[in-house]
Amino acid sequence: MASIAVSEVDNTIDTPGRRTPLVTGDQTYASVTHMVSRISEESQPLIWWLTFAVAFPSLLMFGCLIIYLFLTGVGVWGNMSPVFWGWPIVNFVFWVGIGHAGTLISAILYLFRQNWRTSINRAAEAMTIFAVICAGTFPGIHVGRVWFAYWLTPYPSLNLWMWPQFRSPLLWDVFAVGTYASVSLIFWYMGMIPDLATFRDRSKSRLRRMIYGILCLGWSGSSRHWMRYEKAYSILSALATPLVLSVHTVVSFDFAVSQLPGWHTTIFPPYFVAGAIFSGFGMVLTLLIPVRAIYNLKHLITPRHLDNMCKIILATGSMVGLAYVTEFFMAWYSQNKYEYDTFVFRAFGPYWWAYWIMFTCNVISPQVFWFKVFRRNTILMWIVTIFVNIGMWFERFVITVTSLARDFLPSSWGYFSPTWVDIGMLVGSFGLFTTLFLLFCKYLPVVAVSEVKGVMSQHAHAEHRHGHGGDH
Amino acid sequence: MATNSSSEDLTLPGGWRGKAPMLLAVGLICVLLSAGMCYFVGGEENRSVGFSAFLHSYLANFIFCLSICLGGLFFVMIQHVARAAWSATIRRVAELLAYMIPWWLLLFLPILAMVWWTDSPALYPWNAGSGNVSAIVEKKLDYLNPFWFTIRVFVYFAVWVLCARYFFGMSRKQDETGDASITLKCQKWAGPGIIFTALATNFGAFDIMMSTDPEWFSTIYGVYLFAASMLSFFAMMIVSCYALQRAGRLQRQVNTEHFHDLAKFQFGFIVFWAYIAFSQFLLYWYGNIPEETQWYQDRMNHGWQYVGLVLIAGHFAIPFLGTMARKVRRSRPLMAFWGVFILVMHWVDMMFVLLPTDEIHFSGLLLIGHLVGWIGMVSVFLGLLIYRTGDTPLVAQRDPWIPDALAYQVGP
Amino acid sequence: MSEHQPKQKKIRPPRSFGWMAEYEDENQLLDAARKVRDAGYSRIDAFTPFPVHGIDEALNIRRTRLPWFSLVAGMTGTTVALLLQWWTNAFDYPYIISGKPYASWPAFIPVTFELTVLFAAFMTVFAMLGLNGLPKFNNPVFTDPKFDRATDDRFFLWVDSRDQYFNAEKVRELLEATGAKAVEEVWEDDSPTEVPKSIYAGIAVLILITLIPGAIVLNMRNSRSPYPRWHIFFDMDFQPSRKAQQPTTIFADGRVQRPPVPGTVARGELGPNDPFLLGYDPEGVAMGKGAAVNVQMVSYQQENSASQEPIEEPPAPPPPQPDTSAADDPQASATADASSEQAGEAPSKPAGDQAPTTAEDEGDAGAGPAAEGEPNYAWLERFPLPVDAELIEVGRREFEQNCAACHGLAGYGDGLVSRRATELAQGYWLQPTSLHEQRIIDQPVGRIYYTITHGKGKMAPYADALTPRERWAVVAYVRVLQRSQNARPEDVPADADLASARGDDTTNR
Repeated sequence: MASIAVSEVDNTIDTPGRRTPLVTGDQTYASVTHMVSRISEESQPLIWWLTFAVAFPSLLMFGCLIIYLFLTGVGVWGNMSPVFWGWPIVNFVFWVGIGHAGTLISAILYLFRQNWRTSINRAAEAMTIFAVICAGTFPGIHVGRVWFAYWLTPYPSLNLWMWPQFRSPLLWDVFAVGTYASVSLIFWYMGMIPDLATFRDRSKSRLRRMIYGILCLGWSGSSRHWMRYEKAYSILSALATPLVLSVHTVVSFDFAVSQLPGWHTTIFPPYFVAGAIFSGFGMVLTLLIPVRAIYNLKHLITPRHLDNMCKIILATGSMVGLAYVTEFFMAWYSQNKYEYDTFVFRAFGPYWWAYWIMFTCNVISPQVFWFKVFRRNTILMWIVTIFVNIGMWFERFVITVTSLARDFLPSSWGYFSPTWVDIGMLVGSFGLFTTLFLLFCKYLPVVAVSEVKGVMSQHAHAEHRHGHGGDH
Repeated sequence: MATNSSSEDLTLPGGWRGKAPMLLAVGLICVLLSAGMCYFVGGEENRSVGFSAFLHSYLANFIFCLSICLGGLFFVMIQHVARAAWSATIRRVAELLAYMIPWWLLLFLPILAMVWWTDSPALYPWNAGSGNVSAIVEKKLDYLNPFWFTIRVFVYFAVWVLCARYFFGMSRKQDETGDASITLKCQKWAGPGIIFTALATNFGAFDIMMSTDPEWFSTIYGVYLFAASMLSFFAMMIVSCYALQRAGRLQRQVNTEHFHDLAKFQFGFIVFWAYIAFSQFLLYWYGNIPEETQWYQDRMNHGWQYVGLVLIAGHFAIPFLGTMARKVRRSRPLMAFWGVFILVMHWVDMMFVLLPTDEIHFSGLLLIGHLVGWIGMVSVFLGLLIYRTGDTPLVAQRDPWIPDALAYQVGP
Repeated sequence: MSEHQPKQKKIRPPRSFGWMAEYEDENQLLDAARKVRDAGYSRIDAFTPFPVHGIDEALNIRRTRLPWFSLVAGMTGTTVALLLQWWTNAFDYPYIISGKPYASWPAFIPVTFELTVLFAAFMTVFAMLGLNGLPKFNNPVFTDPKFDRATDDRFFLWVDSRDQYFNAEKVRELLEATGAKAVEEVWEDDSPTEVPKSIYAGIAVLILITLIPGAIVLNMRNSRSPYPRWHIFFDMDFQPSRKAQQPTTIFADGRVQRPPVPGTVARGELGPNDPFLLGYDPEGVAMGKGAAVNVQMVSYQQENSASQEPIEEPPAPPPPQPDTSAADDPQASATADASSEQAGEAPSKPAGDQAPTTAEDEGDAGAGPAAEGEPNYAWLERFPLPVDAELIEVGRREFEQNCAACHGLAGYGDGLVSRRATELAQGYWLQPTSLHEQRIIDQPVGRIYYTITHGKGKMAPYADALTPRERWAVVAYVRVLQRSQNARPEDVPADADLASARGDDTTNR
């Protein structure tokens, strides 16, 4: 019954009035279940182990570098006057940005009833959580005296008799990222409960059955449970949607409430959010293109899904471009000398290479998605998404470093150079991210099976109706 | 499942069409009346303030109407690009609103004429020309001068009109031919259309609205106009659908689910507007740089602060709580009420954004004058809308998505 | 219809919970559910691998009150956040930061929003689980191995035996009539209901282990230990930096404070015996005593002053001008008000150099006999720094601030303090010295500098109030005053445009 064809079926062709099938290859409910469950039940392919063999040592290196940092001090980084926010904050903003796609796909696309989200939302949410873990690490270790990081929480301290400073955007950040991480986690987990029950019911070994049985909290699939579950899902979506927007908004506030030229501009909140969605979708594609090839999920993550994601990347990339243009225009229009000079410095100063890498990768490279050939060919698509990731990292670099490098006093101007610890930590954070994602593939349902089945059912209904509807 | 039973009348109610000339007449009279009332705002000794107040009031009411049409244009293109099925039955109303845009260029011509033939700084202080403006504005005169301003305004309108005409024209063509490939064409061109319209709206907001205070600047300003446009458009859409249903049209095509969806969008944009407005305020309040805060200074003094408080409550808190419940969103009369409420608040918003200057202070006379002007502008709007719509059917009958839209049901 | 045979370990026979029918697709299930509902059964449920559209209506499932939980939790979050921020930042621990009010409501909004969402989201999930009665690991439906496919591709309809119309046989017939693939009776789960002791033990051990770090911390905070603590960050606990006057092991001499390296002068610093600071040359011989002029003094007088005398600024001042230059450029000495005009002129113009030449004009001041009790040093005859319009402007400012109160703006000793004191004291008040007395005019610049530095009579020392450079500036200004008050007609330049000078002056103010 579960015959998995290797050849791809092109479901990107539109027929107005007809819903495009989002699951191809004459799948049944059982075959879809099998397609996803087998990933966790069978042994992992060689490429999994090879990637793990690279990622896990990187993670260990990350841990060692963090210990080295704690024992030695933040001087091991390249952070130096006047660039006090160097790579750690660049990496933080980069990872938080990536962590936006998952909850966006699960929440916003859910509210917009974009059914194609179901094949990709699980992996995207997992990616979100891992990215937020990577992101949270950096400000955590950036506070200097990391053993006092708990001072950020508003607790009645009997020693200090003081409270955190709620007028500071950095504290807003603690609340925003903390809320986002915990709500994303619980959202992800809740979405996984029915699929964990599927895993439980398919398990052959007693231990596996027990572990997944506990994880799925004894889910039975009762319609009354489903009804509350769906309600909870839609409420969580409604809550998570503004939450997604708020997180990168607050991150942008970290910069924009200051008076630093290049940071203090009002478009930062929506611009950061658009950039975050952009980078998040870039990373989702970067991960999903190999995943669908390795685990043969081409009938669930169809060309249509990739096509849609490419279009979102194109749209958000253009929004980011619009923000760049607006910023530059307003730097001139404001006739604020410092603002204007900062932008000229960014584009034509010693950091010109960073600015133009950012601009090329973020604004120009996604424009190829206007052409269908790029939205169909997974290799080309994958290369573009790599460029998007690079570009977004450089965007954070350009914003953080170039504005700081030009202090108000020319005598204080500086040039930031990373140390080997900076580079090692960036690589190590990718190790952490990849390791977690590989473990996710191995142990948890990569695709939201129950939601895909719901979409299959809906599609069958629509086709049914179409058959009866006749012409007009 | 057939959509167009022959008995069904899909055009504007006849009674409405008869009212168009009256609406236009009332509108013109009210705008003149508003000019007269605003003229006395500055008092005996300062007549120029009165003239300035009228121009600001005219522009605010003008933007009130234009923004609704722009929202309609964005809506149409977004529906195409998202291949949305649910909105197929209501898209024509949005297309008709967007199709109005050429008329707004006509109504902007008086302002353009003033910019072109006089050097009055009453509305755009940069219009006074070199030597008569502050040092900062002096440096911007390469951009803010009558010649380039006029050119840019025409470019913005060209983009808007082109997009609006294209999508309206294609939809009308489909009415006749029923050709499904037209939908594909619309999908294809909606993407570039959105980009160009977004650019035009963004910079149009800078030029037409923000340059009334040429020293001040804010990069989010265009996004603010976009948020306000979409919100007021959804409110207008709800009100229009309700009114048309009351008049016996669209009975079958627009069901509770559509109202529910429009209400959800309206709710979403209430939050989005608040988000954008708050972001702009917070960043300037926190940064506390004089050249940026002076815009808010004008709006937090001389009586305008109360208008600001009304906005916080009426543009965000009250409708946010009011339209949160599913029961409200699915009740057509209640949503019609909230639609009107939002439209009124959108008017207050445009007043708050465009009226206050260091000279124009809040007063009862100004409020009444502005209100009369609004009534006039809205009458003109409705009159032109009815005139423009004419015999056009209010539903794109042969859109291939119509069956889906009719059978459409919201999930839990 | 294979009946599930529970193991007969229990004394009590297994209880039937109800009947379950299995369907292959959701449409069959929906039809069946409607039939069963229409037959009057209300305790019915369906088990499906995904939420089936329309099942709520088919099973008469009422809407949930879950949204109210979320709403209340969200509003609680809002309130908690606002109160927390107001109480901590505006009430309990108020302090001003970046000029913002204690209760900065705009700044409180982000955290308020986050906590609202946090509370509402967690409440939504936990209320959903609570209303669903989850986690519940023991469910009679799980006893049937067929039920494993309820999470895969099968749809089950369930009629509870507690339904008021329940009749096992009728229900079976009804379900079979709906076209079910299989209809089965569900039996009580006979597996032991107690959780094995080992699991309890495992949980207890886990809890204990997690408590250990906290317990250690608590213990350490509330006890004393004779042992030194364990230093993780050794170089932070024992930093090589020391406070002033403490000993150190880093340097051989054991001193924290480091003396300057012998034979060096720090950048921007002068030696303590520098004539610039003293106003006289400590190595020179006082001329007032008529002593022989030693070789050093001769070279000092003859050579370019800049080459020998240490000065603050590195560039060497221009060589001294001949006396005639004073007449060429009288503005320097005419009035300090004109200095702004001068500043605009070429900087190479040795505007200030007239001051020392003025001193020389007045004759060999240094050679005059020293008064009784006067210190007797080798007074500097020339300024040890370039005198230009800017310095004179500094001198004017400092003179008017510090000196003019007694000495008067023009230096006649008729300042406001002096006038008032004269009025009050009726003759007991000794008038401050007029700077235009010939005695003062004759004094070398170093002598005047010395007076300013150390004070004289009632006059307090100004070393603390004025930097050395400012003192020299005041000296220069005193010279300017002396020259201006004793000006000769030829001091006024022929082409002096007094009107325009005044005009410039007013625009500059």
